[in-house]
Amino acid sequence: MATQDLNRLASAPSRPEPGLWQQIVKARWCYLFMLPSLLLTGLFTFYPIFASWYFSFLDWSGFTDTKLLVGFANYREVMGDALFWGAFRRSFIFMLVSVPLQLVFSLIVAVVLNDKSFGLAPLFRTLFFIPVVTTTAIVGIVMTFIFSPFNGPVNRILVNSGILNQPIDFLGNPQTALGTVIGVFVWKWFGITMIYWLAALQTVPSDLYEAAKLDGAGRWHIFRYIIVPLLTPFAIVITLITAVGSLNVFALVQTMTAGGPYYSSEVMEVYIYRTAFGTSSGGSVPRLGYASAAGVFFGLAVMVITIFQGLAARSMRRKPVAP
Amino acid sequence: MSEKNSKTSVTRRQVLKLIGATSAAATLASYGGSHAYAQDMPIPNSGAILPTEKVNLRWVDSGDQKAVFYREFFPAYTKAHPNINIAYDPLPWNEIAQVVPLGIRNGTAHDVFQLPTSISGAQAVSEGWVQPLDDIIPNFAEWKAKFPAGVFLPGITDFDGKTYGFPFTSAKRYSTHLLYNVAYMEQAGFDLESGPLTWSSFREAARIITEQGKGAYYGFIIGGNQLNRWSDVVRNLAVMAGVPAGTGSLMTADINLSTGEYAFNTQQYIDAVNLLLALRDDGSVFPGVLSMNAPQARAFMPQGAAGMIFQGPWNIPQWETENPDYNFGVASQPVPDDKDPLPLNISEGGANSMWLYSESKLGAVVGDIFHYLGTAEGQTAWANIVGAADAPILPEAIANANMSPRAKKALELFNEQMRVGPNPLVRNPALIDVSLELRTPEPSFAQVVQGLYTGQLKDVEAEMNGLQERYTAERERAVQVVQDRGGDVSLDDWKFDNWDPQVDYGAADYESL
Repeated sequence: MATQDLNRLASAPSRPEPGLWQQIVKARWCYLFMLPSLLLTGLFTFYPIFASWYFSFLDWSGFTDTKLLVGFANYREVMGDALFWGAFRRSFIFMLVSVPLQLVFSLIVAVVLNDKSFGLAPLFRTLFFIPVVTTTAIVGIVMTFIFSPFNGPVNRILVNSGILNQPIDFLGNPQTALGTVIGVFVWKWFGITMIYWLAALQTVPSDLYEAAKLDGAGRWHIFRYIIVPLLTPFAIVITLITAVGSLNVFALVQTMTAGGPYYSSEVMEVYIYRTAFGTSSGGSVPRLGYASAAGVFFGLAVMVITIFQGLAARSMRRKPVAP
Repeated sequence: MSEKNSKTSVTRRQVLKLIGATSAAATLASYGGSHAYAQDMPIPNSGAILPTEKVNLRWVDSGDQKAVFYREFFPAYTKAHPNINIAYDPLPWNEIAQVVPLGIRNGTAHDVFQLPTSISGAQAVSEGWVQPLDDIIPNFAEWKAKFPAGVFLPGITDFDGKTYGFPFTSAKRYSTHLLYNVAYMEQAGFDLESGPLTWSSFREAARIITEQGKGAYYGFIIGGNQLNRWSDVVRNLAVMAGVPAGTGSLMTADINLSTGEYAFNTQQYIDAVNLLLALRDDGSVFPGVLSMNAPQARAFMPQGAAGMIFQGPWNIPQWETENPDYNFGVASQPVPDDKDPLPLNISEGGANSMWLYSESKLGAVVGDIFHYLGTAEGQTAWANIVGAADAPILPEAIANANMSPRAKKALELFNEQMRVGPNPLVRNPALIDVSLELRTPEPSFAQVVQGLYTGQLKDVEAEMNGLQERYTAERERAVQVVQDRGGDVSLDDWKFDNWDPQVDYGAADYESL
């Protein structure tokens, strides 16, 4: 009997795969519910991307109907603009400095706060997260007072404690302006990275900690041989999110230094904004076409870097996790 | 456990309530503050047909003394016309440079605005940002005829026979005269009542005041985060030191209007930059100037944090009102050590031009307000409140107004030190096309001076030569573009060899070119 059933099953013709349209009809409710977000994504993500590609080929102020098609002239001008490359370089400096700091500090704090014996962990978690939900522009403006060399609390502490003889103009000194903004950026956003780490740490089974403790492992060994290997796949995603976040710094830079003094803290977003909407000192009509070319070029560069990062992440995933 | 949670929850609510109450109190206080200015101000009927439904007019300008006046005038206007609400936004120039273009880009611009300093009237008209006032202001021709000659100028406020810009104050003022702390100056041993400081005595005064301040106050302050402060100061010092360069927009600024050449590489410009660097090297400049804008820098003066600032007359009534105990003096900017100062020049008679947004539907209301601001009543009301900060443009208003001794001194100073200079756009209206093509070379003059001050740029002479080359090349390019399109323009349009900087340049001078 059983053999007959098997033979019948084996000889039955296989059911044809349903077509794409049939699949869509079958899952129509899913698609219906996705429609609003698809529309919004199209309007607010894809349309601006395609529009900026188009604008980048125009000599256009952005305010008039007069648009002159100039081909790759804007791109050629961008390539030859030392200020563009300066901003480009500073954007990557910003990323390369802020991301490791943010990742390391937030991981340390997350590991400490993940300790169940630490009763005040919820309070500290909230305190560390408060800057994340504070309006960036307000943080930037308040920081200009905090770092002021005249009666600013940071300078007052440094001078009164004897660390400095003279106050430092943190935001007015070209040597310190960008570094100060990076510091504030890390302080403001490390709370969100900490939450990512905490979420990742929740996935580590508690019996692994207990087993390690029974085997006599100390805190460092638990961190090195249990936490780090298990968090590695999460670390790749968190690094990617943090790196992308470090390129979105317009509000903070604009309110703290506006890219100055003398371009020393001008990152790509501020450069694009300045060229797109003009400056207070100039005499130029805004150049949306040129700014779009700069934006598209920078976007492509970031995309290339992201692809490499993705490839690196994939190769890391393929590696077997150390026992 | 639940009791504990309950207690926590109540505490949080209490905290939230406290925050809410504090916010509400702060909000009420801020509204109370703005309404405290309101008082009755008779506004004659202009004949404008005003809307009867509820409307909301939005107005943005650079504030300062305009804000002091409008905070009295707008509530009075709304009191006379309860259906017309006016939202007034006084903003620093840095923010006007962002808010106005963005508003126009998004179709949400204020009904009335000042143009960013980087945008000329010609550009605004050409770009369709603004609409003409001829059919907006009641009895326009009669109203306009009462203004002195040189206020409404083709290529400046008027385009294609229509009037777009309304300059309702006098341009005879400059933004770099000296305001000083009298006590500090006397303590340092300088008497500015007997005469202005020279470049060298200014530097010495800054040094001594700083020394006497012992870290509590400094000799000199400037809003160094606001780029135009650097270019304004250097340009005006250089002009008074003897180079007759234009001081207006990109079309005239820093161009020696006698020779038609840029003046960046003249000894006067180089020396003016070096004077600022000498102050820096002396340690006489307030710390942190590179991270503060002009309003922030100005706010430090009445606090006694600095002895001197180069600023405009708009500070006088503000400080007199808000800081009545602050004893400050008004004087000329430092003059050259070894020769008589050359007058500063202005390229037009009017200032504070206001423009009507092309998409505004409230032209009737704006016309009514502009009409009032251009009458003797409106101008006198303006002068009574503003004083010398922004002098009224109608001479009768200046005669009728009550002003403080400091305000009168400032006006006397401007009359003595300022002349109307030649204006290439008036000479050749076709230059409007050049103004539309002309872009500020980067790094700009202001940026270079800032860069030299921060030490990022080292060689003053080389940088000023670089500016000379960049600006010259850019103007030549713009002129060439317009010529290629068939425009009748030339670099010679900037050369006024019949100009005597000691006297006003008038219609007869343009005719004799």
